Order: sequence, then C-alpha cells, then structure tokens
Amino acid sequence: MPDGRIRLTVLGGYLGSGKTTWLRHHLRGLADPPHILVNEAAEVPIDDLLLSAACIRVLAGGCACCTGKAQFASVLRSICDQHPRPASILLETSGLADPAALVAVIRDDPVLVHHILVTEIVVLVDALNALAQLATDPLGRAQITSADRLVLTKLDAVPALDLAGLRLTLRTLNPSAPITGAASGVVVPLPPLPEGARAVPLPALTGLDARPVAAVRLSLPADLDWAAFSLWLSALLQARGDDLVRVKGVVNSPAGRLLLQSVRRVVQSPEVLPAGHAHERDGTLVLIGRGAEEASLRRSLDRFLAP
Amino acid sequence: MCNACGFPRRPGHWTEAGLATPHDRLRARFRRAAILRRVLKPYGLTVHDDGVTNGITLSTLSGASVIVDDLETLWTEAGRLAGRPIDPLAADA
Repeated sequence: MPDGRIRLTVLGGYLGSGKTTWLRHHLRGLADPPHILVNEAAEVPIDDLLLSAACIRVLAGGCACCTGKAQFASVLRSICDQHPRPASILLETSGLADPAALVAVIRDDPVLVHHILVTEIVVLVDALNALAQLATDPLGRAQITSADRLVLTKLDAVPALDLAGLRLTLRTLNPSAPITGAASGVVVPLPPLPEGARAVPLPALTGLDARPVAAVRLSLPADLDWAAFSLWLSALLQARGDDLVRVKGVVNSPAGRLLLQSVRRVVQSPEVLPAGHAHERDGTLVLIGRGAEEASLRRSLDRFLAP
Repeated sequence: MCNACGFPRRPGHWTEAGLATPHDRLRARFRRAAILRRVLKPYGLTVHDDGVTNGITLSTLSGASVIVDDLETLWTEAGRLAGRPIDPLAADA
C-alpha cells in the first residue's frame, strides 16, 4: 500500500456465472485473505452460507451499483474506519451490477476516493450460457467490456469448438482483457484455439452501437504537458465516454508516474507508481472502444498539446 | 466550495494529481485556462479564470456567460453555449 489506499478487487459476472463458487475455492488457497463483501440484489442473502471466511459482510436487498448505492458506500466507509484496516477488499457483485457504476460510486464519494483504489475488475463468464446472454442482454455486454480479466467457468460442460467461438466473441467485445479458465476456483490453461473457430456474430441491440471494439495505443511524449493532456482526456471522455469503454496507461505527471484508468466516463483518482522502476510501457496510453481510430485520436491529442 | 481547494471542486479529482501546494494549484489553474482559451476559441467561446474567485467563466462573443466549477460541467456548458457538443474527435474541432 504505497499510498495507503485499500485495494479493492471487483468480482463481477452475470447471474449464475459462478462467482460464489469461484470465490469459495479461491479463498481456500490464500494465506492472507482479503475482506470479503458480498452484494446480493435479493432481500434474503444466501451466498454467505456458502462462504465461510472470517471477514465477510453481506449487502443484501439492492444492487450496489444502483438501488444499494448508499448502503454500499456506508459499508466501505465503515471498513475504512476499522483498526487495523484490511489491506484489500474483494467485492462480489450481484449478477445485475455494472462494474463501471461501482467504480463511479467510489469516485463520487468524498471520503472513499481517498481511501479505496479499485485495482482489478475480474468478470466471470459462464461458458455454457454466455453466448445466449450476450445476444440479448446489454448488461452482459457491459460487464464484459469493463473487465480487466475474464475468467471462463463451467468449461467441462462445453464442446471445444463452442468454447473457441465464445473466446473469439469475447475478444471482439473486449480485446485487451486476458481470458483464462477456472475449474473449482483454480486457474486452468485454455487449449489453443482450434482451426476454423469463428467469433459468433452478436445481434445489434436497440440503443447499442454495433461498431467493433478496437484497442488503440497512443505513445505520449516524454515531456508530457499534464495540464493539456488531462484536459484532452476529460473532454474526450465527456464527448465519447459511451464509446470509449476503457482507457489505461502509465503517464508521466508532476506527481511522478501515474497509473491512469477509466471505465467509461469514470476516471479513478490515479495511483502513483514508485519511481525508478521505469517500464517500457511508460508513456503509452491504451484506449479501447467502439470505432476508436488511431489517426483521429492522435490528431486531437496533438491539437491539445500544441504549444 | 472551500477557498483552499480551488478548481476543480470535487476532492480527489484525477486531473489534480500531483498538485501538492497552493502554488502548484494556482499555476495549474492559469495553465488550464490558457489551454481552454485556445481549445474553445474555434467554438466562439472565451474563458476567464482570475485565480482568486472560484470557478471558470465561459462567455460567448454575444455576452452570454456561465461560471462552472468542474471539468465535466465545463464541457457540457461549453457545448450548450456553442450550440454544438465539444467533441475533440470532430474533424473541425
């Protein structure tokens, strides 16, 4: 914890994608388990019976990204007040949650923004039912696009060719997130994609943009003007936040190297990385979104950076 | 809004990263206003930030003006005053 903020991992995924099962097995292997928060949209909690961790809190009766927002924020605040403070929290979302909205709850809270940092959004994908969900439900697609890491569950129930089709389909929705498989909470390697596997075309949903999601890398100058750059990014997200699903990068600023992340319009308060561990990815901004084009992004950034 | 925190108002706004002292913050305010002035000029807008009072003043050439205190509102209001959204990716922006 270099900046003292509690690390929050968001575990998301559609209803029945195996979140609790994954969590239960995952916790067994950890020497230093995180503080667990389980959110259930239903009034009557059940999932906590399956989990037997020492520090577990259940938020029942409302999804933390919408109706249960206030309760979610107050529970996080009470965790911040604990002594000793947990180093990390793992939040199991309800199957109806949009992880981007959860990040927004933390960003908009004047206390939490200083004490909690969302480090990773892990989204579980039910290999058996995901394609059917993605075909009809915009929420399922929103969960996939906001993920940092995708974990496929129920692998044994699916033929190899279907699985390959699903993986390629997930790639079109989220080209940057690594995909792994899980069986009983343990990471299992996925087989190489077989010949002839194709992404399954997803039908256009009303109100959703059908353009493919692309990832664009922009290299930033070494002497980046942070004021101009941050104004550009804020204008860009304000205008195109619905299209630009993710922006990630390590950026040089007056405070040092900043790990900058956004999920749709929400930019998290950036994490200051330790100096001296310069990496080759420094000064590269990755923008993932529908219809993202390198030439136009580059041109608009240069216009803001022009002296 | 408190006098010490300056623009933007929301605590912990990500654009404020690294602005530790009041000097840094004041300098960043002027720097930001200068960039905004240049960026919003093609939209027929002028930008004023005196560094003392809170917020940034946006005005049109015909005199309509509005004071905003965070960047999200700034882009929305600038779009309203200009009659078209402020889109950095637009070809004529």
